[in-house]
Amino acid sequence: MNYPENDITLVEKYFDEMLNNAERKDFDRRMQTDQNFKMLVEREQVLINSIRMHGVQEDLQFLKKLEETLNDKKTVTLNPSSKRWYYVAAAAVIAFLIVAKVFYTPAPSPEELFHAYFKPYPNLFEPTVRGEATATSRTEAFKAYEQGDYERAATLFSNLLKTEKEPGILLLLGNSNLILGNIEEAKNNFITLNSDFDELDIQSKWFLSLCYLKSGDMERAKPILAELGNTEISYAAKAKELLEKVK
Amino acid sequence: MKQEDIIFKIRSGGQSELAAVYEEFRSEFLHWITREFRCSQEDGQDIYQVTILIFFDNIRQGKLQHLVSSVKTYLFGIGKNLALENLRKEKKFVPMDQEKWLRNSLVDEPTAHVEESVFAQAKEALQKLGQPCQRLIELFYYEKKSMPEITETLGYKNSDTAKNQKCKCMARLRKLFEQETTSKSIVINS
Repeated sequence: MNYPENDITLVEKYFDEMLNNAERKDFDRRMQTDQNFKMLVEREQVLINSIRMHGVQEDLQFLKKLEETLNDKKTVTLNPSSKRWYYVAAAAVIAFLIVAKVFYTPAPSPEELFHAYFKPYPNLFEPTVRGEATATSRTEAFKAYEQGDYERAATLFSNLLKTEKEPGILLLLGNSNLILGNIEEAKNNFITLNSDFDELDIQSKWFLSLCYLKSGDMERAKPILAELGNTEISYAAKAKELLEKVK
Repeated sequence: MKQEDIIFKIRSGGQSELAAVYEEFRSEFLHWITREFRCSQEDGQDIYQVTILIFFDNIRQGKLQHLVSSVKTYLFGIGKNLALENLRKEKKFVPMDQEKWLRNSLVDEPTAHVEESVFAQAKEALQKLGQPCQRLIELFYYEKKSMPEITETLGYKNSDTAKNQKCKCMARLRKLFEQETTSKSIVINS
């Protein structure tokens, strides 16, 4: 529909708040009496509202882009209603516990490490046989060791060594002394085993390192563990692991 | 940004002022709205964006000329009303339709009964209008900039030139809108 130019000017001045008193009266009268004029006003209002909506949509998109950059910069804010909150909280608690375990749990004492890693060397040298008719001091020594009677085993092994100097007997005597808390005697047993025999040297070093550990002498334990850790033997993994813990 | 400067800066400024105000109250608002209404962070952001835009529009339109309380109190008030109204209408908290809320807030009552399709035609006409006309009439009707401000922003010779240019742009927009409505036989319901 074509509207008179004067009507368009009047409507435009109305929306631009430029009407004088006479124009305002004319405008109000036309709105009451002239349906076409009212439609013209309504069309102008639709256009202005569209302009404003276009502007606010541009600003909304601007804020959304801004929000993306803020989200990148800032940490996640906890939201009590979102399910993600629970996952975030759980992850945070787990992370805290891990950090706490790593940083705040006191390092195990040498004594604790000793008990964690020490296992008596088994009697592989002279297994006892049930119903054996003749019991000698030798068989009695191995039998006592197997039964966990380390005090008796230590006494019998010591006596045997006076006449039968064997590396196996020396290793088990050292283990018995270690269990009984005779650390210095145990150390001497393993040092002798290592120096006097070609056999069981790895075992002697392993148990010697545990003797140092039990006595709290970490500085002497470390080089032995490091040496064992660099080998391909069965003690290597345990030695490496223990070395990490005593560092 | 100082409290007393905010209204002046919003009136005279543009998107950089919008960003500054948005960032200044964002953390506090999101922390409050997500706790108060047990909504997600994303829902909180949607409410905050609409809140800021309504706040800006109220200042630009002259509805808010003096702050009787802090900007924070004012923003929280708008946000609370939006969240409560959203809850009331939807019965439970659902992501808000931002455009609907902005339209309800920005669009004047006399056109409330006008069909969506008519606004779509007007939007189409506005996009066909092109620059710098589109920017000029947005500065005037949306940002409520004065003719001297528009003259400076768009580099016109003087305010009269800017005013004449604005009248020509609106005339062109009416013509484009007429073409849109005629070609698609859209009738504004009265």
